[in-house]
Amino acid sequence: MSISLRVNLGGLEMKNPVTVASGTFAYGEEYDQYFDISQLGAVTVKSLSLRPRAGNPPPRLVETPAGMLNAIGLQNVGIEAYLKDKLPFLRKKGCTIIGNIYGHSPEEYAQLAQRLEAEGGADAIEANLSCPNVHDARTARGCSLVAQNPELVRQYTVAIKTATRLPVFVKLSPNVVDIVESAVAAQEGGADAVSLINTLLGMGINPETRRPILSNIVGGLSGPAIRPVAVKMVWDVAKHLKIPILGMGGICTASDAMQFILAGARAVAVGSYVFREPTAPMKIVQGLDDYCRRHGVADINQLVGAMAV
Amino acid sequence: MPHLADCRIMSNQEIAPEHYRLTLHAPQIAAESAAGQFCMIEVRPGYAPFLRRPMSFERIFNDGFSILYRVQGEGTRLMAMMSSGQVLNIQGPLGKPFPLNPTYQRHILVAGGIGIAPFPALGDAIVRTLGKTPEIVIAARTERLLLCEKDFRQMGCRVHFVTDDGSAGEKGLASDGLLRLNPGPDCVVYACGPMPMLKAVHAVCAARGAVCYASLEAEMACGDGVCLGCVVESNVEVEYERMVRVCKDGPIFDTRIIRWDAY
Repeated sequence: MSISLRVNLGGLEMKNPVTVASGTFAYGEEYDQYFDISQLGAVTVKSLSLRPRAGNPPPRLVETPAGMLNAIGLQNVGIEAYLKDKLPFLRKKGCTIIGNIYGHSPEEYAQLAQRLEAEGGADAIEANLSCPNVHDARTARGCSLVAQNPELVRQYTVAIKTATRLPVFVKLSPNVVDIVESAVAAQEGGADAVSLINTLLGMGINPETRRPILSNIVGGLSGPAIRPVAVKMVWDVAKHLKIPILGMGGICTASDAMQFILAGARAVAVGSYVFREPTAPMKIVQGLDDYCRRHGVADINQLVGAMAV
Repeated sequence: MPHLADCRIMSNQEIAPEHYRLTLHAPQIAAESAAGQFCMIEVRPGYAPFLRRPMSFERIFNDGFSILYRVQGEGTRLMAMMSSGQVLNIQGPLGKPFPLNPTYQRHILVAGGIGIAPFPALGDAIVRTLGKTPEIVIAARTERLLLCEKDFRQMGCRVHFVTDDGSAGEKGLASDGLLRLNPGPDCVVYACGPMPMLKAVHAVCAARGAVCYASLEAEMACGDGVCLGCVVESNVEVEYERMVRVCKDGPIFDTRIIRWDAY
């Protein structure tokens, strides 16, 4: 039986539905030491900003039950160094590239998207409107991420869509009352897909020193600990959206990935687990093929949103 | 290039209270490893713990390597219960090795507590590749936690003990022990231990004109330069290079590039 894993994610053709979550794969080179990264449906690069960013001071990372908390703060080389030093490797490998971008205003996002398109730096744009680690937790209250304000989500999406013809994915935050509202706003703004979920806000305190574990105090929780939350959010959003979903949050195995697909995700991203098991994304591609074979399904698209209730 | 390999435990011995030496059969990894590098150990299947544990090579053999660890958290507590014959998945070698330079007259190693971990391999390398005999300061809280004396005596090293409580050797800090050896511009100092100790050792070296390389420790997720979780602050002015990755840019650093006032 020949199995097709090909999917179309809002205009982005992927040979299989598996990519990686931004920030867990850098720009691909390191993990190409462990498997041929061009086997992935797409490589999603670490958030790119107009200028290089040093990120937050250490400590930035701590292990948690079945996961980890991080407050990296979008340390990245900046878009120009990406285009010059990182992109040639990904292009030489023949990777499909999702360019994740982070800016401080709709104009900056638009500029980043334009630059990526002009230089062939990405095949689709993923707008990170939901990084929890780039504001000052000591003073911030309530809505401090763009993704927490549906009206801003719509405005930012319009600005990016106006700037580029590439497919635009909007990455949403789970740190909201109703993620469906954010997703609908992205769709209204013209997004071609939504990516969910970014990390859940969390924090840890060392009782001996009475100090926060992370220098940023708060961080983003990821890993299998958050998977049930993510699956549920994908399911909620899928019921209300016409555009496809890139699902992520604690995916470690093909069986985990299938939960997201059955809940309504067209494609999936492997996140923190790649740190533990560098070959996990490739194993998930193989595992999805096995799953389709075992279930007698010739085309994985038939399984999207196919949870039996 | 790092490998991912299932490696059999050859032995796992308690060498001091809560301190262990684990030896693994890993010919492929050992063949490509050098002193100062490390591996990431998958403690067990499942998600408890979620991440691998970074461990420096204590010694590198033809058919494998050993590591030293102190029982400190969930991962090392599980490791301490393991016995020979069990298999662990290992990622390595990772990071940069200790730089070896024959132009220095004296090679001084300064170890604080479990910071002795990468030094037997370094001692071997200095003896074998440079034909020189290092000197070593072994510092610990108390006499029972002074590790690896025999290993360094066998290399012919001068061993200097320092303890916090004065139960063996000089009473004081690792940096006091180093000062006693009167380091100068003809010396290269290698240090490993807690950050405050490394800061003090760096200060001694800077004052005496000795170059110092420190092996740093940090909580890590990937071990291979991707996650940017293990960074330390450097003096470098370039924005993106201000944070250096312990796993990939290190774990060995010339101590002059670390921004010590942050620690």
